[in-house]
Amino acid sequence: MLAVQVLVNGVLLGGVYGIMALGMSLIWGVMKIINIAHGALIMLGAYFGFWTFTLLGWDPFLALPVTLAAFFALGYLVQRFLLNLIVRAQLFSTLLVTFGIGVVMENLARLLWSSDLRQVTPRYQGAHLDVAGLTIPHVRLGVFFTAAALSALFLLVIERTRLGRAIRATAQDLRAARLSGIPVAHIYAVTFGLGAALAGAAGALWGTLFPITPTMGGPLTLKAFAVNVLGGLGTMLGPLVGGVVLGVIEAFASTYLGPTYANVFSFGLLVLVLSIRPTGLLGRAP
Amino acid sequence: MKQILMAAWLAAGVATGSAFAADDVIVLGAAISQSGKYAREGKFYVDAYTIGVDAVNKAGGVKVGGKSRKLDLKLYDDQSDPALAARLCTKLVTSDKVNFLLGPYTSGIAIAASAVAEKYEVPMVEGGGAAGNIFDHGYKYIFGTLANAELYFQPAVELAAKSTPPVRTAALLFSNEAFDKAVAKGTRRWLQQARIELVYDEEYQPANQDFSSILTVIKSKNPDLVLVAGHEENSLAFIRQSQAADVNPRMAAFTVGPPTGDFRKTLGKAAEYVYGITTWLPDMDLPDAVFGSAPKFARQFQDRFGYEPDYHVASGVADVLAYKIAIEKAGTLDPKKVRDALAALDAPTLYGRIKFNPGGQIELPQTLIQIQNGRLVPLYAGGKTLGKALYPTPPWSKR
Repeated sequence: MLAVQVLVNGVLLGGVYGIMALGMSLIWGVMKIINIAHGALIMLGAYFGFWTFTLLGWDPFLALPVTLAAFFALGYLVQRFLLNLIVRAQLFSTLLVTFGIGVVMENLARLLWSSDLRQVTPRYQGAHLDVAGLTIPHVRLGVFFTAAALSALFLLVIERTRLGRAIRATAQDLRAARLSGIPVAHIYAVTFGLGAALAGAAGALWGTLFPITPTMGGPLTLKAFAVNVLGGLGTMLGPLVGGVVLGVIEAFASTYLGPTYANVFSFGLLVLVLSIRPTGLLGRAP
Repeated sequence: MKQILMAAWLAAGVATGSAFAADDVIVLGAAISQSGKYAREGKFYVDAYTIGVDAVNKAGGVKVGGKSRKLDLKLYDDQSDPALAARLCTKLVTSDKVNFLLGPYTSGIAIAASAVAEKYEVPMVEGGGAAGNIFDHGYKYIFGTLANAELYFQPAVELAAKSTPPVRTAALLFSNEAFDKAVAKGTRRWLQQARIELVYDEEYQPANQDFSSILTVIKSKNPDLVLVAGHEENSLAFIRQSQAADVNPRMAAFTVGPPTGDFRKTLGKAAEYVYGITTWLPDMDLPDAVFGSAPKFARQFQDRFGYEPDYHVASGVADVLAYKIAIEKAGTLDPKKVRDALAALDAPTLYGRIKFNPGGQIELPQTLIQIQNGRLVPLYAGGKTLGKALYPTPPWSKR
């Protein structure tokens, strides 16, 4: 029974890991930018959820469309007016710039909102289902299904719409995309906007589960990166699979070997995957 | 343009230079976390040092050899990094030439910074590191005003052992940082003395906010007592997630969190019945030569910074007060003589009686508190019952 509960814990948490990593994967897939500011965007998303909840009384789940729109706009502007200037530069330059953006965001958050711990506390925060001896918190279940639904919606946009085709075309062959009349600068900005929207939503969901601080972003960038490498960076289903795999492995390692082993195993697995399947579980060789 | 910059730089240099060069000023220097993961607790110390120095100056400064001198502060941000803290302390001593050092926050950083103070033989009175291994190197220049980490859970375990229905089993969860490991080491001893069986004893990484797996195991062991040593955000996450996971010990106590105001504000009703540990409460009847008393200090602090001071803050203020008293006793700014005066110190302050043991650490009894109706109620300290515990904690479904 314990094992089943641990599996459920892992899968539920894996859903958030997945949506945290998805935006990062998209941005890498299309622009070959490793977005170090991804965690900082997640942090801002968490604060967005906190303030709309605290000041306006919006439920963090119902406020998600607003979060998505706001972060899409933010991401679009950052790419259009900043990152597009260096998108063709060496990998190191883009790493450095996104790192800088992350530092600025983190310190702005600290100046504006202080280092105080924040918490989103909807009425149902302590509620849980008891199913066949398993305890399943409402919030975690909600977060998992919301993350799954958002990911599905996002995949639909990428795979089935004209915009998605343009994004994929740009990722596959930049010159051909240009020749076919795709406005690449705009598509890049839209891509980063989508990535930021997913990060914002991931943050709002994260904030319903865990305390919010200005410094929470750093470890989450790392986590998102690990999930992506595991699942296959640049793929769309990879992050979701990687997220759930990582969540489950962490849960089992933490339960049966001790909480400090969670990272040993998740990063150990990362090394293993990198040496056996360098492109990740779902990645294809370039 | 270059000339303007040069002039501005010179002006700035002269301005700060003049503030510290005057020989009627005593400069206290510290590296303290203003950014990074300890920024939150670091702010307590920045505010504490600031109000302490201002109050001492307002009350006439420090009298050295018949002459009154003002205190001044020189603070750097160590970015929550022990190595940087050590470098900044070196800079404070060697190039800024501060007279004395105040401490950083958290044991891991205090260990690094204390080595610098010892090397240059400049006293450091620190109020942010409580692990015993700061004080067992035989260092002569380090003094700490936080009580020994190993004693933290002693009152919780003692009260638990006396409660009805009795506490027979306990779970102990602690972060893998120096302070919390020291807490755990002491706690195992108290549990053994109280004949409480330890059914869960694990360490975790404080960056990890997901306690669902840990709570699943704890729930399966069904302990009467749960003891958690970690950061405030860990305490918050743990309590909230234990509500969602429906984990119901008779008593749950935390090293950090319950005494602070925003802990109660953030958790709301979920904070009720939670036990915490503190050496200091704002309404304790403690007279003080500079601030008047602990409650007067607490009011002044609240008015100025907008939040209620907890024991970290009081400990930080006590560091400044310890310097004032010791320097006046020594009658000189000679580091060695001030060090001797600190070692011999025995003075009542708003934080309690400051008297260091031979290792350099203060000996203060811990008080077990419980949050009842949004208020901190002292329950038990030094073998004495101070208030009535709401025990056992009702299950989450009945709160």
